[in-house]
Amino acid sequence: MLLEIGIALLLAKILGHAMERIRQPAVIGEIIAGIVVGPFILGEFFGMKYLSPVTEGLGQIGIILLLFISGLEIGLDEIKAAGKNGMITSMFDVAVAFFFGYIAGYLLGYDVRTSIAIGNILVATSVGITVRTLMEMHALHSKVGELILTVAVLDDVLGILVLSFTLGRGEPALLIAKVALFFLIFVCVAFLINKIRDVKLHIPRFMLTAALSFSFIFSALAHDLGLAAITGSFFGGLALSNLPQRRRINEFVRQMGENFFIPLFFIWVGASFDFYALKDIGPLVLLFIPMALLGKIIGCSTGARLCGFKARDAFAVGVGMMPRMEVALVVVTTEITMGIFNETLAHQVLAATILLVIISSFITPVALKIVYKGEENQHSE
Amino acid sequence: MDLKELHERKVKDILDEKQIWNLPMIEKNANIEEVLSILTARDHVWIVEEKGSKKLCGVITESDVLRLIAPPRLPKYVFGKKYSVSLQHGTAKKAEDVMHRQLIKCSPEDKIGEVLTRMVNSGLRRLPVVEGDEIVGEITVHYILQILLGKR
Repeated sequence: MLLEIGIALLLAKILGHAMERIRQPAVIGEIIAGIVVGPFILGEFFGMKYLSPVTEGLGQIGIILLLFISGLEIGLDEIKAAGKNGMITSMFDVAVAFFFGYIAGYLLGYDVRTSIAIGNILVATSVGITVRTLMEMHALHSKVGELILTVAVLDDVLGILVLSFTLGRGEPALLIAKVALFFLIFVCVAFLINKIRDVKLHIPRFMLTAALSFSFIFSALAHDLGLAAITGSFFGGLALSNLPQRRRINEFVRQMGENFFIPLFFIWVGASFDFYALKDIGPLVLLFIPMALLGKIIGCSTGARLCGFKARDAFAVGVGMMPRMEVALVVVTTEITMGIFNETLAHQVLAATILLVIISSFITPVALKIVYKGEENQHSE
Repeated sequence: MDLKELHERKVKDILDEKQIWNLPMIEKNANIEEVLSILTARDHVWIVEEKGSKKLCGVITESDVLRLIAPPRLPKYVFGKKYSVSLQHGTAKKAEDVMHRQLIKCSPEDKIGEVLTRMVNSGLRRLPVVEGDEIVGEITVHYILQILLGKR
């Protein structure tokens, strides 16, 4: 297993860099590295066994760190500064994207809980691809670019909230009480941290270890209350986002996460890609991927239009919001771990999500450039 | 001055009252060009609430500016809007777009030893000295060295 991890990390670094060279996210390279070291390539030909409870555990730590970094970097200040347009568009975005996923599940004949789980996967947009494309198009400062970024930030938050309510375990009334209790604890902890932030402790670098420890404790709290652990790590990050040591904590957790645990999560996702699942995946992919892309276009365009954006600008916002990446993969993995899908379906949904990640990542830059070109022409007419 | 003795002294004992008039400060809604102009001569600038105010709300350092002027490079995993702040792409317009809001500070009553430990633990070379919300001075490595070597 040590050999497998060593090879996987090196391969992920090289393929991740290769992807960045062709202006694609490194995550895709890490997933491909996972496919290579998984049971169908190096496993089949060299007898390597990457998939094991240990590598799964390391990947799970990667998930906690990824969501913790996400909460810490988004921060309460960005949520506060989102503004009316961002809030309205984001609400439409999340509602429609979730609903389209649910409809896809319903049309495929899945039960309510499975359909809800599919809806959850489609909520969060990946900011990275869109930022990269907007930068290439010199449109980052445009009102379209600004709205896309704000909505992409907010839908991570709303996506995690929706996930908490829809996938929590237990009776509905009890679940609402548990979610309410979790957020009450979150508010109290965020308030207390803000109050005691200047306490002097004479333990060197105590804050860094305490922050890391806090992310795991908050994840455990969320899990024990019947919510997903990722809800805990995300809100744990948000709770610490007003600390004076935020930048230092972020650098510390990023160093650890970015170079070891988080790539191991994406490698694990790739290694879990089941080629046999492709055989029966047709109907799922044919509904899941178009619904994923359309949900964002329709939801965001409607929201942006209601906020006074011109039709083409609103459409550009929708197109720019199509990419799914880190959070979608985290959500699907969490749902699989929670046992929501049966084994066959789990492989199919994971494979479909990986395909969605790759397809949305490749078509968004092209589509956005076409739409934005149209927007420029429209302005010059 | 003996280093051990310096560690025991309080910030207010070594802080030059006139220092406040020479602190690099600018209001948060100042244009980024004005901020950059200050940073041509200084290695940081404290950001205050408004012109004439001393209410501290952020800092911009030369390493922030280095990121602004270097070719844009996104990390592997992007969250939030901070990586989209760019001079080249017109998203860094005002001081508040770039500044760090969460500050590690010290007070005039703190001992120099504590302040230096805080600087080491936080990886910082300067701390603002604040009373209430207002900046009254700064402790930098340069300043401490000047005191230590008797040049102040």
